[in-house]
Amino acid sequence: MSDIIGQEKVEQDVVLRIKDLHTYFYTDIGVSRALNGVSFEIPLGKVMGVVGESGCGKSVTALTIMRLLVRSAKIMKGEVSFFRHTKKNDLSTMIEAVDLLKLEAMGPEMRAIRGAELAMIFQEPMTSLNPSYTIGDQISEAIILHQEVDHHEGIQRAITVLDQVGMANPKMIVNRYPHELSGGMRQRAMIAMGLSCHPAVLFADEPTTALDVTTEAQILDLMRDLQTQFGTTIVFITHNLGVVAQMCDFVSVMYLGRIVEQAPVEELFYNSKHPYTSALLNSIPHVGSRTKTRLQSIRGVVPDPYSTIKGCPFHPRCDSFMPGKCDQGMPAQSHVNPTHTVRCFLFSDEVEE
Amino acid sequence: MTDAATTIPQVPPVVDEPVSEVGQLSQGMLIRMRFARNKLAMFGLIGLIVLYILVFTSGFLAPNEFTYQNQDYIFGGPSQFTFIGPNGNFSLRPYMYPMTTELDEVAFKFVFKLDKTQKLPVKFFVKGDTYKIFGFKSKIHLFGVDLPQRLYLFGTDSLGRDMFARTMQGGTVSMTVGLVGVAFSIVLGAVLGTASGYFMGVADDIIQRIIEVISSFPGIPLWAALAAALPPVSQNFTALDRYFLITVVLSFVGWTGLARQLRAKVMAYRSADFCQAAVAAGSSDSRIIFTHMLPNAASHIIVTSALAVPGMILGETALSFLGLGILPPMVSWGALLRDSQQVSVIVQHPWILIPGLAVVITVLLYSFMGDGLRDAVDPYSI
Amino acid sequence: MGSYILRRLGYMAITMVIVTILGYIIIELPPGSYVESEIARLRQMGGNLAPEQIESLYRRYGLDKPAYMRFLIWVSGFVRGDFGQSFQYNMDVSQLIWGRLGLTLVFSILSLIFSWIVAIVVGVYSATHRFTIPDYLITVSQFIGLSVPSFLLALVLMVFAQDVLHMEVAGLFSSAYQNAPWSFTKFLDLLNHMWIPVIVISASGTAWLSRVMRANLLDVLNMQYIQTARAKGLTENVVIWKHAFRNAIHPLIMILGGSLPGIISGETIVSMVLNLPTTGPLYVAALLQKDMYLAGAFLVFLAMALLIGNLGADLLLAWVDPRIRYE
Repeated sequence: MSDIIGQEKVEQDVVLRIKDLHTYFYTDIGVSRALNGVSFEIPLGKVMGVVGESGCGKSVTALTIMRLLVRSAKIMKGEVSFFRHTKKNDLSTMIEAVDLLKLEAMGPEMRAIRGAELAMIFQEPMTSLNPSYTIGDQISEAIILHQEVDHHEGIQRAITVLDQVGMANPKMIVNRYPHELSGGMRQRAMIAMGLSCHPAVLFADEPTTALDVTTEAQILDLMRDLQTQFGTTIVFITHNLGVVAQMCDFVSVMYLGRIVEQAPVEELFYNSKHPYTSALLNSIPHVGSRTKTRLQSIRGVVPDPYSTIKGCPFHPRCDSFMPGKCDQGMPAQSHVNPTHTVRCFLFSDEVEE
Repeated sequence: MTDAATTIPQVPPVVDEPVSEVGQLSQGMLIRMRFARNKLAMFGLIGLIVLYILVFTSGFLAPNEFTYQNQDYIFGGPSQFTFIGPNGNFSLRPYMYPMTTELDEVAFKFVFKLDKTQKLPVKFFVKGDTYKIFGFKSKIHLFGVDLPQRLYLFGTDSLGRDMFARTMQGGTVSMTVGLVGVAFSIVLGAVLGTASGYFMGVADDIIQRIIEVISSFPGIPLWAALAAALPPVSQNFTALDRYFLITVVLSFVGWTGLARQLRAKVMAYRSADFCQAAVAAGSSDSRIIFTHMLPNAASHIIVTSALAVPGMILGETALSFLGLGILPPMVSWGALLRDSQQVSVIVQHPWILIPGLAVVITVLLYSFMGDGLRDAVDPYSI
Repeated sequence: MGSYILRRLGYMAITMVIVTILGYIIIELPPGSYVESEIARLRQMGGNLAPEQIESLYRRYGLDKPAYMRFLIWVSGFVRGDFGQSFQYNMDVSQLIWGRLGLTLVFSILSLIFSWIVAIVVGVYSATHRFTIPDYLITVSQFIGLSVPSFLLALVLMVFAQDVLHMEVAGLFSSAYQNAPWSFTKFLDLLNHMWIPVIVISASGTAWLSRVMRANLLDVLNMQYIQTARAKGLTENVVIWKHAFRNAIHPLIMILGGSLPGIISGETIVSMVLNLPTTGPLYVAALLQKDMYLAGAFLVFLAMALLIGNLGADLLLAWVDPRIRYE
């Protein structure tokens, strides 16, 4: 059942708060600690980027919040609070806090939230749409389910939202099948499906990775426009720092199941503190850099997710490694300034419990 | 100067993880490892090896010779044993009660008579009927009772012949028919399927039409028609000749499945980069087929063959059951089941269905093994 | 879609022609002819025939003409519904086969429907309840269903029905109802005799189909669009039956055609064991007696049934999968 805490001014601008989230995958080969103590807050109405290499846990974070994990995954501990902001007649906003982890993943309350208040779109537009149903059927499915309208009205609303995502000729598109659309059009359809019920938060898991650059630019512009228009909070998961620079207001950097740095976007790019973030930024090739220089890469490889590393997970690859400290304990989250947090012994000696 | 830092300072290694061996093994070894991990598949493989050994040493294993007709024991049941010796004490050696059957003229049935007064010791390496094994004659059987009494593990049939011996002997036919048939199928299917997929064009069209036409006939009716075309057993056409022709008949339909699959694979490989590269390098057709394509398809061929054997065994069993397959004096499990077409006979003498059980066990073992092979070769399938 | 149907019908017609020719060749394969076996039989009984009598026999059965002529004459009769004469029974083949073919089709269709329904339910259940005890039990019975020869299963079930359930199960009707007029109890008796054939014929097909269904559903459940569906807030049942099942069923419909030969084959054998008045017993007897036209007609018709079944399966697939329609 939902926890109603009541009105709290301090949550005015937070829509999701995640505290110490641990999600483990139990497989034949061993236990993979995909999320190993993730804590962050997602500000209302902003675009939050979640960056990291493959396997760092960025998708798993979104899937855990949405309660879409597979059966072999267990949420070991943590708190996920969703702050539902409802505008009342007298223009004040009522805020309800809902502990998402206390709900049953496929139970009626979570299902009512999923799709209507928290939505998610995925990476491959080719495979994210069911090939056997028309676009109209698939978009209106969520509308009919959550807004309780009939089929005809559902299609009408689907046409409206397709128009809003810039799809040409929406009346014709609703009767088309996914294989008849191009990649960009399919992704627009996905975005339309995600936004169809006007959710408070949209998780976008690498939505442009599978698209060519031109289409990618269009989709990013579209998302930015829609975000301004509807005020939807977007959590943008990607490994592409260029996209982050373009799209995001805040950025969280993840490594091996933990958030190592979190800051507003400009602060991150110009004033990054964590060695991993700096290394990531340095590895981006620059136009106009000197010729005949080697690309900078982070030495070593991402460790096997089934292994355990004592201390800070990044220390085997870190140029600022301090023996005796970095391999003993996990650094706690410390503030560089009010909006910028980092987990590194270079900035604080505090060890996490 | 921005040369990337390539010196790696001393860093403590990551805890826990031994170096994985997986990256250093060949594909063949990987497949064998995956297969060995699958307990059901190993059970199937070992079970089959045991069965093959059993049936090919059947002369030695069975207490009686499989054609010997015992007039005193027609439709008799399995022998009964006791572990209490003639002196009344428990003994490790089993003792058998001698049995006879007599014809009850009134009810017109064979009645089973057990003589509990006598206890015959079951001996090992006993002298019994003459039989041939691997080319030479012998009289020693693994176990049995002294002649003239006889031990019947599975009872006898309508002519007083030992069902255990006959089932084992029938196994030599039933268990090899499938293998020979599949061998023919592979040759036909591989050649035609590869040719069809590689050369495409007219050859492909013709071969595809042939496959379609053959596939339009339902299996057993087609086999029945082909088998009916075989001449009866005579001087010029022995039972062994018939055995081979039956396997040819079985593979006549079986090759189409493999041909179709190979054709699809070859067509996919053709446009794959590694074959394009071979063509660009100037390889001849035969080199591309034999060096590049077939080794890749080899595991698939093996899996398909293993999975096809049960179908062949079941086909031969069905044909022989109908009287169109293996004919006397040769025995196969299907031929043995011909005796059991009447429900009344089965109800009274259920042991004549034992060859059917042998078929089920063999097919099950092949299915386990074949499934395991398939999983081992393609780990992404379920 | 219309042009697709026409093209498939065209292919089918061509295949049908080749099938007829091939069927006839196969039937002609056995050395000797019906006349020769008749003569041998008469000789065994002590009689003998003068050469003129033998010649007139040949002429009477039309066996004096060369093979291809006999074929053409036979085929030309098809249009009129004349499929030649049966040597054994001295009747028109068409009189003999229609009733039996009809019953074969009835059993085949019933078995097809039965096996599909069971396979779908069992397959979906075992895919969504993996690693549970019912799943293991299902796997075991699938293996058994694939391993037991159909006639053995028929025999075992017959023994079971007679011994344990005390039912008379051979034939189509119990002796009491054989010649009785139609009534509700007669209909019930008919059902009593039908369940064994239907179960036995569909046994191995069901086992195999349900494994394919399970595998397909598992494949589909791993697809991204299933997660999209869940992300919309749908219940798991809707996700499985509306989204997953719809796509998992495609490959199954593609192999629908492939399960037909097994059903017709199985029907042939089972009818021999259970003494049902269908194609099986008559066909095998005709083969053994070299009653060419009878056997040939059966074989060709069975092949025709298979071709039509395949066509139906292809059409069904085109209807279900929108991608195929536009080929």
